[in-house]
Amino acid sequence: MIGLWHYLAVAAALFGIGLVGFLTRRNLITMFLCAEMMLQGVAINLVAFSRYHGNLHGQVFTLFVVAVAACEAGLALALFLMLYRRGKSLDASDWQGLREVGVSQTLDTEPLAPAPAEEALPTLTPAGARPARTEEEPARV
Amino acid sequence: MSDPVGLALTVLALLLAATVVTACFNTSLLRKIAHWPLIVACGSAAVVALVLLLKVHDAAGDAAVRFVSEPVTWFQAGKLAVNFTLTVDPLSCVMLAMITFVATWIAIFSGSYMHGDRGFARYFAVMGLFVFSMCGLVLANNFFLLIAFWEGVGVCSYLLVGFYYDKPSAAAAARKAFLVTRLGDTGLILGLFFLWRLTGYATTDLTTSFDLIARAVRDNPAKVEELTAACLLLFCGAVGKSAQFPLYVWLPDAMEGPTPVSALIHAATMVTAGVYLVARCAPLYAMAPEAQAVVAWAGGITAILAAFFALAQNDLKRVLAYSTVSQLGYMFMALGTMGSVSPTFAVTAAMFHLFTHAFFKALLFLAAGSVMHAMGGVIDMRRFGGLRHVMPRTHLTFLCGAAALAGLPLLSGFWSKDMILEALTEASEHPGPHSGTFYTLLLVGLATAAMTAFYTFRAYFLTFWGARRIPEEAGHHAHESPAAMTVPLVVLAFGALFIGAAVEPLSGHALSHFLGRTPSLELASAAPGVHAAEAAHGFDWALAGISSALAIGGVLLAWWLYGGGGPEAVPDALAPVWVASRNKLYVDEIYHGAFVKPAETLAFISRQFDGFLDALARLISYVPRAVGLGLRPIQNGLVQFYALSMALGLAVLLSFVVFRISR
Repeated sequence: MIGLWHYLAVAAALFGIGLVGFLTRRNLITMFLCAEMMLQGVAINLVAFSRYHGNLHGQVFTLFVVAVAACEAGLALALFLMLYRRGKSLDASDWQGLREVGVSQTLDTEPLAPAPAEEALPTLTPAGARPARTEEEPARV
Repeated sequence: MSDPVGLALTVLALLLAATVVTACFNTSLLRKIAHWPLIVACGSAAVVALVLLLKVHDAAGDAAVRFVSEPVTWFQAGKLAVNFTLTVDPLSCVMLAMITFVATWIAIFSGSYMHGDRGFARYFAVMGLFVFSMCGLVLANNFFLLIAFWEGVGVCSYLLVGFYYDKPSAAAAARKAFLVTRLGDTGLILGLFFLWRLTGYATTDLTTSFDLIARAVRDNPAKVEELTAACLLLFCGAVGKSAQFPLYVWLPDAMEGPTPVSALIHAATMVTAGVYLVARCAPLYAMAPEAQAVVAWAGGITAILAAFFALAQNDLKRVLAYSTVSQLGYMFMALGTMGSVSPTFAVTAAMFHLFTHAFFKALLFLAAGSVMHAMGGVIDMRRFGGLRHVMPRTHLTFLCGAAALAGLPLLSGFWSKDMILEALTEASEHPGPHSGTFYTLLLVGLATAAMTAFYTFRAYFLTFWGARRIPEEAGHHAHESPAAMTVPLVVLAFGALFIGAAVEPLSGHALSHFLGRTPSLELASAAPGVHAAEAAHGFDWALAGISSALAIGGVLLAWWLYGGGGPEAVPDALAPVWVASRNKLYVDEIYHGAFVKPAETLAFISRQFDGFLDALARLISYVPRAVGLGLRPIQNGLVQFYALSMALGLAVLLSFVVFRISR
């Protein structure tokens, strides 16, 4: 028969995998997914204990956790999008410039391969005007 | 408004209005005429005060007379209820008339003397405030009101001594004057609380509390000691304000102020506030013989010491300042005889001298101001001389003032000084524990009289006789002062010559009789143990002869030594005395060593200690900084590193909790 211990074991496994993934990966989205995994491990714990105690407290709490996690996801993905636009990369270690002043940089022994250059999209010249050559958008010409 | 209290209020209102109006005159357009409000207000106040004097005189007749205004509550705190009440009696009337009269002429003089000064309007505004406070002081019928006005005149004195505030010596002198008088004021405030206690915490009104205290002491003679303590504390205030030994040191320095200020505040009015206070509190002093002895001794020591200092000063104004200190000592000597002669006589003698002194000392200061004006601000007698042809009117008026101060026969100073000496003689003849004291003080008084005559005429001869010498600061325009300055001189000179004779011998002792109608003096005469013989005084020809001879002797000695004008030559035999006098017996240096230096050392130590505390506080502020320095490398900007530290920390915490619980 499946008892409380089984649930707890699954939850611990989920939490452990998530933790290891969070500590080892450096892609922001993967890290985020790992964090979600840890959160779900905790949620399983709550549900299991809820069942074990025979009341609904843990389940209600889990509903809240899931709702908060959803909000979190929205926020986090929006942030990642902004970070990607700034740095053209999802590498979390690219942001170590945010460290304390006077602390030396941590050298990356295994740098990622540079991202392939984006192919310039074709643009149309606005009708009736001479195409302007601007510094921000040299690709338009 | 025609009742006496209404008239007294009118005087105060006029002066306060003048102050406020003058303060508004400090604009470039109106500054030139800023002296007019004060002159007009003082002049009309003098007329009102004279009317008041006549009214009170008529009302007095042969009975004591006093008008007290309706009490208006000023403030109330617990048992303490302070009323705003004024009292009009012969004593305050005489003071009021004298103050407003002298102030009027000094205001007129100042209008010309201060002409073109940057602070012209400020000068007259403060002057108005001063005259207002001084009038309030003599009219106040409540201890707290008295203190308020007492401090008011102190503040005005501070502001006017430090009038040239950009001059460091003037600023220092103002500070010194304020701090030294503050020492005395502390005693005054304590004394007033003592008196409040003696009334059984019933009232702080002067007239009522005198009655209550007199009754309390009569019922319980053991309270005399408490009363003596209160009187001595009150006298502390008088010592500070009236520049008596040992707190006289501020007055000579106060000469840094403009000369008319010295004339009004530091000769005629404010410095006599102490004398007035003791005279006003005569019923208390009459019951405390020990306090009387202290007052008399302080007066005697001050009189002879200051006269000695005045002998060899170079600065004309300082000679006059020490002379003021000495004459105030005279007044206190007279007040000290209060129990041994009838209090009325003692107070009358002191007030009479105060009255005449106001005239001739104001005159002397104004004449010195006139000299200073012509000499381009130089007041050192070594640098000018022989001015009698350059400034004939100033010369003649100064001579009148000097003769009156020296006590030459038939002039004002002669009559009042003689009355004080008479009081001392009578006190020394009165059998009692202090008769020896008063005999000594009589000799002190006579010696002081001789010295006064000598130093006054030394200053006179050095300034006006001998070869004509004019300092280069005067330029080519050393000339007689304008009429606005000489007219007040002439008016005051008439006062100096004749006012003494006019109010006493020629008018059948009008002043004595009038002051005798003061209720508080009658109360003083009724005090137990007071020699209450009626003040029927024949003129003491022998005493008058001795004092005249001493005065004339002093003048002749001065003429013999300095008749040829300066520079002064000192006989070798007298050189040590001369040096001691010139250096004021090193009292200033002793005070500097005994009080100023220790205070400065204490301040220095405190400052160092403060620095030490600051350093300690700074040291503590370094602790978080050092901790931050140790923790900073952790913030390396790697998210994984943060997560790892968090996980490890959590693991450590959890294992700690788990193992602790399981153990």
